[in-house]
Amino acid sequence: MTSDLKPRPQILRMRPIIKAECLGKKYYLGRRETVAPTLREALKDSMKSAARLVRRSNGADPNIWALSDVSFEVQAGEVVGIIGRNGAGKSTLLRILARITRPTTGLADLFGRTGSLLGVGTGFQPDLTGRENIYLNGAILGMNKQEITRKFDEIVAFANVEDFLDTPAKRYSSGMYLRLGFAIAAHLEPDILLLDEVLTIADATFQKRCLQKIKDASRDGTTVLFVSHNLNSVEQLCDRALHIDGGKLCDEGKPDIVITNYLKQIAANN
Amino acid sequence: MSTSLNDANAVLSVAMRRARANELPQDPVTRIRQSRFWEKIDFAELWTQREVLYFLIWRDLKVRYKQTIIGAAWVIVQPILITIVFAVFLGKLIRVPSDGVPYPIFAFTALLLWTFVSNAVLSSSCSLVTNAQIITRVYFSRVMIPAAAVGVRLVDLLIASVVLFGLMIYFHVPVSWNTLMFPVFVVQLAALALAVGLICAALNVRYRDVGTMLPILLQVWMFVSPVVYSTSLIPQRLRFVYSLNPLAGIIEGARASLFDLPFDWTAILPSAFITFLLLVLSVHLFRKMESSFADDV
Repeated sequence: MTSDLKPRPQILRMRPIIKAECLGKKYYLGRRETVAPTLREALKDSMKSAARLVRRSNGADPNIWALSDVSFEVQAGEVVGIIGRNGAGKSTLLRILARITRPTTGLADLFGRTGSLLGVGTGFQPDLTGRENIYLNGAILGMNKQEITRKFDEIVAFANVEDFLDTPAKRYSSGMYLRLGFAIAAHLEPDILLLDEVLTIADATFQKRCLQKIKDASRDGTTVLFVSHNLNSVEQLCDRALHIDGGKLCDEGKPDIVITNYLKQIAANN
Repeated sequence: MSTSLNDANAVLSVAMRRARANELPQDPVTRIRQSRFWEKIDFAELWTQREVLYFLIWRDLKVRYKQTIIGAAWVIVQPILITIVFAVFLGKLIRVPSDGVPYPIFAFTALLLWTFVSNAVLSSSCSLVTNAQIITRVYFSRVMIPAAAVGVRLVDLLIASVVLFGLMIYFHVPVSWNTLMFPVFVVQLAALALAVGLICAALNVRYRDVGTMLPILLQVWMFVSPVVYSTSLIPQRLRFVYSLNPLAGIIEGARASLFDLPFDWTAILPSAFITFLLLVLSVHLFRKMESSFADDV
């Protein structure tokens, strides 16, 4: 009763910008082995699956639910951290929200322009120069040339690649890839920013700048979804945390509490 | 002191977030759904991403012209070499009739268009696989990728057309009002190449056999089209079946427009209709398969 009377954080009274309902993604494990499937294999597979139907009871299920029945809402301007073990389904969730893959079940509505950085070197064309890559990524986000030009200097300054602007991206070091990728994603002012494990290879200095940039973006009203194994930065940065385990959303709430529970769970499993 | 500053910042921040939240649209910008049997085509999205198409075309042109020594010249040399071969064997030795037009320019016109179709279909069919990295990392309408491959070849066609007009001057082919129809046939040809390219590209993601089979199928397609011979060689009773190949109507139409021959509407109209049908079908097939590209590629 008393907790209801307490003023809730302002953010929670705002509009949801992401609404996800019962999101699920099923992968067929057999498919991974056939990297370059041929028509013959497809025929063979269909024979096999017919055979599988007959003796379904004893065979193991060849499908895996990378994500199942995940529902949540994110309010505009919130910074949400997603934590969980490797293979828990965090990246699959972001891939669905970034529209790279479709969910098998459920639906999600996004009420804003989405920018994403899923892994290092996202969307870079190795043969194009840094300058050209900035324009290409801007175009993919739906910006026109003037908008990108307006942001151009800021991106270059942030990524610290002034001297390599006209060098093809394939000659970049992985640090430069990361810096430029992050700079583009963060400066093109999406309403929703999806970040997956982007800071893992950054050095301490750049990590700090990235975290500061995420803070700034969130202060300006950008909603950030942030997958990380760096629990410290999740705790520092996020308004809320989601813990995903075995494809399911198993905990959600204040970052410090979710992280404590997560660590307890890991300790218990060991 | 610093706490009050922090408080002020917090208030400001909340105000800014609110202001931005109020600007958000009432309807979702993006609706994420499972894939359905019949996917709608999002024309608004295609329009907002049109610059992506431009960038992809420009990227391919740049890479190609950077890494080949004679760059643009290849585009011109390819149809010329093939024309010489056919002009010697079919034109001189076998004396294939060419509707009263000098055989070299008769064949070159069609070979120019054929080179475009063949290259466009080949490069768009493998475009999704070669761009796997971008497909698995960022979202944009995937149609852009094979469309860009066709676009690049269209630029090649425009460059190589210079030779065509040179030949027309050399053989004293007069320009007439019919010539104005030539670009119309080129547009139809591009639509046909895109349609076939989209189907092959989508299938190639799942079945790499397509890439292997395609060169053979393209050879067959070339010989069932009036590229190195004229439709007049086809018996009248087979003409209808022959005109079901949309390429036949386009090539004969393009020739008629350049050499001031009468248009054969019984071939041109079915060809236009079939091209349109193929385009609609291929775009829907592509939309349908698009949702699993990132998982399959």
